[in-house]
Amino acid sequence: MSAFPAPPLVDIRDLSVSFPQHDGVVQAVRGVTLHVDTGESIGIVGESGSGKSVSCMAVLRLLRSPPARIEATALSLGGVDMISADNRQIADTRGRVAAMIFQDPMTAFDPVFTIGQQIVETIRVHRAVSKAEARSEAQTLLTRVEIRNPASILDSFPHQLSGGMLQRAMIAMALSCRPQILFADEPTTALDVTVQAQILQLIKQLQAEFGMGLIMVTHDLGVVAETVDRVVVMYGGKVMEQAPVQDIFDSPAHPYTRALLASMPGQGGGRQRLIEIPGASPNPANPPTGCPFHPRCTLADAQCAAAMPAMSQTGPSRQAACWKLA
Amino acid sequence: MIPFILRRLFSVSVTFVIVSILIFTMMHSIPGGPFDAGDMPLPPEVRARLNERYGLDQSLVTQYINYMGGVLRFDFGIPFQSPGETVLELLGRAWVPSLVLGGLGVLIGTPLGILLGIAAALRRNTWIDYLASAVATLGLTIPVFVTSMIMILVFAVWLNWVPASGWGAPDKWILPIAAYATIPMATYARYTRSAMLDTLNKPFVTVLRAKGLSETRIIYQHVLRNSAIPMVTVFLPMFIGTATGSIFVEAIFRVPGLGAYFVSSIRTRDYPLEMALMLMLTVMFCLAYLISDILYAWLNPRIRAGGRKG
Ligand SMILES: Nc1ncnc2c1ncn2[C@@H]1O[C@H](COP(=O)(O)OP(=O)(O)O)[C@@H](O)[C@H]1O
Ligand SMILES: [Mg+2]
Repeated sequence: MSAFPAPPLVDIRDLSVSFPQHDGVVQAVRGVTLHVDTGESIGIVGESGSGKSVSCMAVLRLLRSPPARIEATALSLGGVDMISADNRQIADTRGRVAAMIFQDPMTAFDPVFTIGQQIVETIRVHRAVSKAEARSEAQTLLTRVEIRNPASILDSFPHQLSGGMLQRAMIAMALSCRPQILFADEPTTALDVTVQAQILQLIKQLQAEFGMGLIMVTHDLGVVAETVDRVVVMYGGKVMEQAPVQDIFDSPAHPYTRALLASMPGQGGGRQRLIEIPGASPNPANPPTGCPFHPRCTLADAQCAAAMPAMSQTGPSRQAACWKLA
Repeated sequence: MIPFILRRLFSVSVTFVIVSILIFTMMHSIPGGPFDAGDMPLPPEVRARLNERYGLDQSLVTQYINYMGGVLRFDFGIPFQSPGETVLELLGRAWVPSLVLGGLGVLIGTPLGILLGIAAALRRNTWIDYLASAVATLGLTIPVFVTSMIMILVFAVWLNWVPASGWGAPDKWILPIAAYATIPMATYARYTRSAMLDTLNKPFVTVLRAKGLSETRIIYQHVLRNSAIPMVTVFLPMFIGTATGSIFVEAIFRVPGLGAYFVSSIRTRDYPLEMALMLMLTVMFCLAYLISDILYAWLNPRIRAGGRKG
C-alpha cells in the first residue's frame, strides 16, 4: 500500500440529473455517490426507472445537455474531470478510458457499415495504426469474444447477425481500445435466455483478463450474483444500500434490497414466477418526501415519510440508508 | 447488384409499354379529331382523305402498332400544328430551354435545400432552423406560379435588377431558374431536416459517441449516409413536381420550351406531338424511378447484401 492511495477509477459524488419538461422537472438521479477502484467490478441494481442508465450516461456525458441538467461535486473517469472537460477531451476519454455496451445490440450498430468497418473505425479514432493492422486486431478481438468465424463476421452487416452474435461483436468493439472501465447497461436483457449466461460469463472472464473495472447495470439480482464484487442498490434516483455481493445475498440490510431478493425467481422455495414488489415505483417528476421507498415499505413510519436517512456504515465495507436498520 | 439492375430495367420497360398504351387510348378517346376544328369546317371528303392519309381511319390497335413501330425508329410523325417539320425536329428545338431551365434549377435548388436541411437539423431551434422551416413551408404551400409572380414583381419591376421575361440572353435566365429552383430547394430542405433528426435519434448514434468519435465525424461519416436512404425516396415525387412545375414557370416567364406544347397539343388533338411529349415524360419518370431504386439499394445494405450469415 502506497502512502498516497490512487484516486478511484470512477469517482461520482453527489450526482443529480434532472430533465426539465413543460409540466415539471423529472428528477432521474438525486444525489448518487459511488466509486469503482482499478480492476473492481460493481453491479448497479434496481427496478426499471430507478436512474441506473441515466447515472452511467451522465458520467460519460452522453446525455444531451440541455435539456439534461447535470450537477455533481465530483464526476471523474480515470482522473479526467468529466464536468469541466471540453468536447475534445470528452471524446478522447470515451472508448479509451471508459467504454460502454448497451441493452439492445440489434440497434447499436450503424446499419450501413460492416462490423469490421465499425471496429476498425473505433481503433483508429484512438490509436495511430494502419487499416490493415486495425483489421487484424479486430479479427483477434472477435476470436477473444469466442466468435468462431471472425473473418466472415467482420465482413457482415449488422442485419445479417443474431442478437447474441452482435452483442459479442459489441463487446469486442468496446474492448478494442483497452478501456480501464467497462459500463455494461443491461447487456443481456434483450437476448435469448440461452445466450444470456454465455454473455455474462464472457464479460466476467474478459474483465479479469483485461484487468479492467466493470459497472454492470441490471434490474436482475441474478445477473450480479455471478459477475461482480460489490453491489449498489438504487431506488428512486438514490442509492439505498451498497455491500459486497455475498453480503447482499446473505444479510441484506435495507428493506428494499430484501424486497428485491424476495422477488427473484427461484428464490424462496424455487418459484419460477417473478413476484412483483407490491406498489408502484415513484413518479420521478413528483417523488415522495423522505425515503423514496416508504410508500411501499412494510416497516415505514412517520419518520420515513418526513426525512431521507443518511448513509450509515452497517459493516466494515458496507453502507445502507434506512431509519429501520437493525 | 447487376441482376438487381437488370430486373429493375425489365420491370421499368413493362411499365413503359403499359403507360404508352394507356396514354394512346386516352388521347384517342377525347371526343373530336384534329381536322374538325370550329371556325373553318373542312368538307367531309377532304376530312376523310386527311384522316386516311394520317391513318386515323384505321382501328386503334393498328394505329398503336404502326405508331410504336415508328417510335422504335425515332419516327414520331409530323406535328399537326406545325407541319413544316417533324415532331423530332420540333422537340429538338424546344427542349433546349426546358433542359437549361429544369437542369440548372434542380442542380442549384437541390444542394441548397440539402445544405439548408442539414444546417437546420444541426442547429435546431436557432434562426437557421426557423429560416429553413419558413423556406420549406412557403415553398411547399405556395404554388410555383405565385412564387414566380412575386419574384417578377420584386426583382424585375421594383428593383429592376433583371428582365421580367424572355429567354434570349443569359440575364433573362436568372429569374425563371430561381423560381424553378424553389421547388427542389423547399422539398429537400424539409426532407433533409427530418431525415437527419430521425437518424440523430437512433440508438447507434449514442454508441458512436460512446466510442469516442467526434461529432463532426459522426455527422459526416454516419448520419448523412443513413439519412440519404429515406431521402432517395423523395427524389421521384420531387422530380414529378418539378416537371409539372416547369409548365407554369415556362408560361409565366415566356420561356420557349416544351411546356406550352403540352397544353396546345391537347387542345388541337395534335396526337403525334402530344404522344411524343407524354412518352418523353414517361421515359423520364421511368429513369427517375430506376435511378432512385438503384441508389436506394446501393445505399442500403439490407437490400444490397441479402440475408444472415453468422
Ligand atoms: N431524456 C430523458 N428525458 C426525460 N426523462 C428521462 C430521460 N431519460 C430518462 N428519463 C427518466 O429518468 C428516470 C430514470 O431513467 P433510467 O436511468 O433510464 O432508469 P433505469 O434505472 O431503468 O435505467 C425514468 O423515470 C425515465 O423516465
Ligand atoms: Mg436502464
